[in-house]
This record gives sequence, structure tokens and C-alpha cells, in this order.
Amino acid sequence: MKFVRQCLLFFLVMVCGAQDVSADVTFNKAEKIVISRFGPWPPVSQADVSNKASGNPEAIELGEQLFGDRRFSKGNKLSCKDCHQPEFSFADSVSLNRGFAPLKRNTLSLYNLRWSNWFGWSGASDSLWMQSLRPIISPDEMNMTVAKVGEIIKNDRSLNEEFERIFGDAGNLNGELLYVQFGKILAAYQETLISPRSRFDQFRDALLAGDKRAIDLYPEDAKRGLKIFLGKGRCHFCHFGPLFTTGEFADIGMSQFNADGSVDKGRYTGIQTLLASPYNLLGKYNDDLTGTVGVRTRHIRLLHRNFGEFKIPSLRNVSNTSPYMHNGSLKTLEDVVAHYSELDIERIHQDTEALLRPLGLSDEEKQDLVSFLKTL
Amino acid sequence: MKYGIISVVLLAICWTGFSSAEELPLVDTHIHYSHDAWEMLPPEKAVGLLRKAGLKYAFVSSSSDDGTQMLYDAAPNLVIPVLRPYRKRGELSSWLYDESVPQMLERRLEKYKYAGIGEFHVFGDDTNLPVMRKVIQLAHDYGIFLHAHSDSKAVENIFKIQPQARVLWAHSGFEQPTEIRRMLSTYENLMADLAFRNEHAVNGEIDPQWQALFMEFPDRITVGTDTYTPERWFYVEDHANWSREWLMTLPDQVRENIAYRNAERLKDWGLSK
Repeated sequence: MKFVRQCLLFFLVMVCGAQDVSADVTFNKAEKIVISRFGPWPPVSQADVSNKASGNPEAIELGEQLFGDRRFSKGNKLSCKDCHQPEFSFADSVSLNRGFAPLKRNTLSLYNLRWSNWFGWSGASDSLWMQSLRPIISPDEMNMTVAKVGEIIKNDRSLNEEFERIFGDAGNLNGELLYVQFGKILAAYQETLISPRSRFDQFRDALLAGDKRAIDLYPEDAKRGLKIFLGKGRCHFCHFGPLFTTGEFADIGMSQFNADGSVDKGRYTGIQTLLASPYNLLGKYNDDLTGTVGVRTRHIRLLHRNFGEFKIPSLRNVSNTSPYMHNGSLKTLEDVVAHYSELDIERIHQDTEALLRPLGLSDEEKQDLVSFLKTL
Repeated sequence: MKYGIISVVLLAICWTGFSSAEELPLVDTHIHYSHDAWEMLPPEKAVGLLRKAGLKYAFVSSSSDDGTQMLYDAAPNLVIPVLRPYRKRGELSSWLYDESVPQMLERRLEKYKYAGIGEFHVFGDDTNLPVMRKVIQLAHDYGIFLHAHSDSKAVENIFKIQPQARVLWAHSGFEQPTEIRRMLSTYENLMADLAFRNEHAVNGEIDPQWQALFMEFPDRITVGTDTYTPERWFYVEDHANWSREWLMTLPDQVRENIAYRNAERLKDWGLSK
């Protein structure tokens, strides 16, 4: 009997030991290649050739000042900073904010926008400076007019002089040009908003360098979550590269109904708005005389599938930018993972979006995936 | 005075051209009004969206069929009922194995009038499953068409099982013009809807390969939106306007056939028994 007990004990130790070994998450060659492409962070950056103010230190400093300047809203009520708050990664922590009226889309973080091609949930802007112009004259947001923005700049001697120094124009500019320059200065500042290196970045670099000690510092549950991200979850097909996003748009089965019963058509309206705007990269305000940066915009086609598509957001710093989705309807990362785990596949046209399917994750897998996301 | 009259005549010509593009009648042959749609959009509102799009008729099938009946009651002169074999969303890939489906269809066919059965999803040799065979038989018995979201193989199987069947090929099988031409040439009772297809027209101009297909089979093509989510109801008008844009580039007869006459003929055939 004693012998049997000893055998049983030996067996239990072996099993537990084996489990300990198997709990050590390792990554194969193919996984390491994908992981390597999530960096380095930050990536190399270049000035935006469509924006003469891009990279100009004086413009960056002035842009930061204008970012918090409430004069550029009706009644001096709001500044950019009131919705894009630095303490919330330049987002706002609420599902849907309100300016002069309740808004219909969640406020996006302003981090890392210098590497984007399309801006806003529907990609209605093709440059950061164009995107910076939109909320200023939106009646629901800052509720200004182009002319009033121009007037404020013209009537503020110091501001006028700074604009002249940055853009080199004589002081007789029309209101619209000043308004565009205002957007370009705001963009110059926002280009400098880069999320800090994350725990994942340290792990990635350690993994590629074979630095076992540093690899071991990365939590095991996050490693398991990364495995799911690359494998069962297939998340990296849309969330890839250093920014963890393709930068494009997708319909992931979220409701597109607004609270008032209207429907947010997402990318469909975004393309229509972009192409109709005088401020897009095909217009006269683009500072790139070669026309190169406008190529992407020139090739946009409006498709049926664009209806209900929204920006695939970057996952960098994602634990600090709740709530989630275009309408801010998912409060936590757990909710986001649950959405993909129990996806209603019939809300997605499978003939054009074959990638998505319910992940069917266990509770432990969901938690691991969340743990990984929290390290980004 | 003379110049004034000429100006008025020119203005009238321009206006007629513009208004014909705007008012080209359309029959949308791919509308669903499933339970989540009627929860968000009551029948009156849904009908309002169809009318706003300027539709002459809408072929409506729903999960469940109650949605179609509600919509038909609200607008019998607009809604063409098509019987969907799904009781609720989520049965898209399981219905073929549910032997109670044919009985349910029979009960509805006895109670209500339909132009067709569909839209259902069946691919390849699944067409030979007993439930699908019974559906094909029911359509034949009642003299109504089948609206099939299928690959070529499944459509071929339908015609093998019942050579007299009439099939509206949903999304034209997401096939390219060469394959659609082969299928339309082979099966004279096959029609193809263009729902959720973009490839045939960009910025109002028709791709030459598709143009050739439309000219070769002007009486076999229809247009449709596919309202597979409640939100897509708000796309019906956009889709109608988009369709009118490229349809206007076709010769009159071809344009009218694809826009509404082909669908009307199919409707008349289906409802004539």
C-alpha cells in the first residue's frame, strides 16, 4: 500500500512538473517573425510633406498652445484639449462626449497619428491637418466658422506674426488660408504625440535578442495572450505592424445605430465627405508639389462594403483609452474580447469579410488575451 | 422671344434627362426584413425607406417569414413576398439539416402567396440533401422561383434535380463575368442578381466585361441591395442611386430591363399561379 502511495505521489509530481514546463510559453520561428514586425518602437518618422509646418519647432510649440486655446470655439467654450485630454492618452474616458450637442462617436486617442493615412473613425480626412480642421467648424463640436478663425488670427498681432514666420506668407491672407494654416500648426504639434515604449516593446526586443532574463520579466499570461493574438484569435491580421493596425477599415458587427435611431454609415460617409472636401490631399492646400501624397486618395473607390465600416484602431496604449469601439459602447477590454469571442457572424457579409468568426475563447483564454493587450 | 423659346426647350430637355436618371424605376430583388430589423424599424418606417429609394417593387424575404408578411400587410403594392426557409437569424448553415423546414414551408405556402422561395444558402453537393431536394420540389409544385445564394456547382445541381426550375442567382454567385456568362448560356431559366456587387461599375462607368455581359443577357439580370443587417435598410436609397448612375449609361431597353422589367417579369411569373 505504501508502495502504491509512493508511486501515486511520484506520478503527481511528474504531472505537476510537466505542467510547469508546459506553462513556459515559447514562440516558434513563424511567430517570432510576426512579433518582430510589431516593432521597433517608435518607428522611423518623416515630416509630412503635405504640411509646410510639419517638424517646425516653432509650429510645434505654437500648436501646443493653440491646442488648449478656447478662442477657437463658439463663445470661447471649448479647446481641443477639453476632449483630447493628456491624462487619458489624449482621449476622454467617456463613451460619447458632447460639444455643442451630444456627439455620436467615441473620442479617439491622438497618440501616434503621424503614421496614419486616414483619420477619424470614418477616415473622412486624409491628413492630420485636414482632420484638425474638422471639429473646429463642426456645429456639434467647436461650432466656429472658417471666417471667424481667420479673424481671430488676423486680429491677434502676435499670432499673426508667428503664422507669417512659419509659413512665410505676407500678412494679407484670406480667412480660409489662415484656417488651413491653423490646422497645419495643430497637426505639427499632434505629430509629436507618441505613446511611450511599452512592456511589450521590451519583451519583443528581448525575444529577438535572445535575452532570456528580460524575456522572463514579461508575464506568462501576457505571453499566452500573445499566442492567442497570433493564433486562435487571428487578431494580427488586422492589428499588425508597430501600430497594431492596418490603418484601414472594417465591419466587425457592431451596431451602427445612433441613440436617435439614425444610422452611422461609417467609412461610406467618410469617403464621400473626404472626396467632396476642398481640404483633401487632391486640393490646392496640399503643400506637396509632387502630388505623391495624394495618390492614395486618388484611388479611393466607394464600395457597398464601406457602409458600416470603421477605422481599425491602433492597439498601442489600448488599456488607457477605454471605452472602446466607434460608439464607445464597450466599456472594458474584457467586453471587447467577449465581443470577438461571441461574434454574431450573420451581421457580417461573409463573402467579403471571410476573416471574422466567433473565437469561442474560454474564460482563461479571454483573460490571457486581455493581459496581453494591457502590455501594449 | 425666339431665343427665349429655344432656351425653355433646351432647359426642358436637360430637365427631362436629369429627372429620368433620378426617377428611373427600380425593383430591388434582394431585401431582408428579419426579426432584428423589425425590432429597429417598424413596418411603416421600413416601407418609407423603400419608397424614399423610389422602388417600384421590393422582393422581400425574412428570418422569420413573419417579417415579410408584416411588410406585405403594410405595403401590398410594393412588397413581393419571397419565402425564406429560416425561422430566425443564425440558421444560415444549419437549415439544410433541419427536416422540419419543408413542413414549415408547406404550411406557409398554403397560407400565403409567394413569388419564390429564398434567399437560402446552399453550396456544392449539399444541394442533394433531402431538405434541399424537397425545397426544389415545393418551388416546382407551386410554380415559383428559387433565390439561391450558391456557387455554380449548387446551381447546376438544382437544374439537374429539376430542369424546369427557375432560379434567381443571388449575388450572381460572386462569380466573374466569364462564369456568369457560362451559367446564363447553359441554363435559360437562370437569372442573376447583382446584390452586393461593385465590380461592374466604378464612378458610374460600367466595366467593359460586365457591359458585354449585360448586352448579351439584357433580360436575365436584376439589381438588389441585400439588407443583411437592420442598418443596411438605410443603404437602400444609396444603393438605388448608385445603381441608377451606372444604369443610365446603358441603352434604354437594356437599362429598363435590368432596372425593373426583368424583375417584374419574374414576379408576374411567380405570382401568376
